Amino acid sequence: MESELERLRKKVENFPSASAYNRLAELVRLGGDIAGAEAVCRRCIKEFPRNGQAYVILAEIEMVNGRKDEAVKNLLTAVERDSRSYAAHRMLADHYIETSRPPQALQHLRQILTFKPNDPAVLKKIEQITGKPPTASVTRQVAGSPYQSAPGRPSEPTPLANKILPASDGLGGLVSEAGGRGALIADDKGRVVSSQRLISQQEERLAALAAEISKASQQALTAVGQDQLSMWTMVADQGQVLAFRRERTFTVVILAEPGVRPAMLEIRARQALIELGAG
Amino acid sequence: MQEILIQLNRVRGVGGSLLVSSDGLPMASALREGLDENQLAATVGSLIEHSQSLAKHLSLGNPRHLHTASEQGSLLLMVAGNGYLVVVIDSQANLTLLQLETKPFLERIAQRLSL
Repeated sequence: MESELERLRKKVENFPSASAYNRLAELVRLGGDIAGAEAVCRRCIKEFPRNGQAYVILAEIEMVNGRKDEAVKNLLTAVERDSRSYAAHRMLADHYIETSRPPQALQHLRQILTFKPNDPAVLKKIEQITGKPPTASVTRQVAGSPYQSAPGRPSEPTPLANKILPASDGLGGLVSEAGGRGALIADDKGRVVSSQRLISQQEERLAALAAEISKASQQALTAVGQDQLSMWTMVADQGQVLAFRRERTFTVVILAEPGVRPAMLEIRARQALIELGAG
Repeated sequence: MQEILIQLNRVRGVGGSLLVSSDGLPMASALREGLDENQLAATVGSLIEHSQSLAKHLSLGNPRHLHTASEQGSLLLMVAGNGYLVVVIDSQANLTLLQLETKPFLERIAQRLSL
């Protein structure tokens, strides 16, 4: 009877697919042929460069063999190809913890929470790093941490994120407007810079999800030949979320009552950015 | 279904329309030539998913529509029965008026999808 390994080898020759390559690479590696597994990954990357999983398997092999720099490079490529790659984010977080770069580790752990919000292992790791459960104040402390000047980080800190800002900066006017329930300012990575009247933990996920919506919105606008995203509004049965953006750097995110007109809040949102020095 | 979208495109301010399933697959398209309906549908699928997560996280109930804008125009994503209608909007369009004019088309699409 034909073995699974042989079947997959034939499959990638005759009907290649990224998933078949991934499974073949895993099986070859399990069989102890590390060089063979690496070759399968490299061939998969060549044929299916958008497939993030092949980069993860390759990085695992490289990590075990002590080629950490190459592994990190491949893991960063993996999360770029697939922002929901749990394994890649976890491995990157572990690597940054080992190399004493907790802000970078936190960034990847928080990214996991955007698609696996209650992952116990991730929540525990965040708690281990920060000494307390993930909250908005932790995000702000991390944004202002001296660790951010460490080399090899996956993303650059923004000038505004380096400031430790009082929670109400520039947003007081927004939430005192009729219909405004709470608001925050986030940087382009979805990190909270400032917030007002949002409960703990709510603001972190709100910022992270708003960043994901902004990213997808920009892609959708590009697909129809339009330019930079300036704002989006999501209206639901019991409320709405509005986001106003400035030059892909900062976003004001507002949680409001369902009937509030976006134009009413936009002026205040732009003012808040100016008051923070981002306008 | 495509006939409904072609009629919708005649509304002032509408520059094209697309009907997608909740998992981001195109169901019917009346987009301008040269636009990739599969690419747009895939990004819309991602928008639907994230909007639902956001509404759930904030206990806002079901998302009704998402409007995403640039200086050159905007996109309006609305629930249409089991599917989602995406409307490409010109920068000069009156959004409130356009939403009102789109409503009968949404009802027709929802009706067709329920058959």
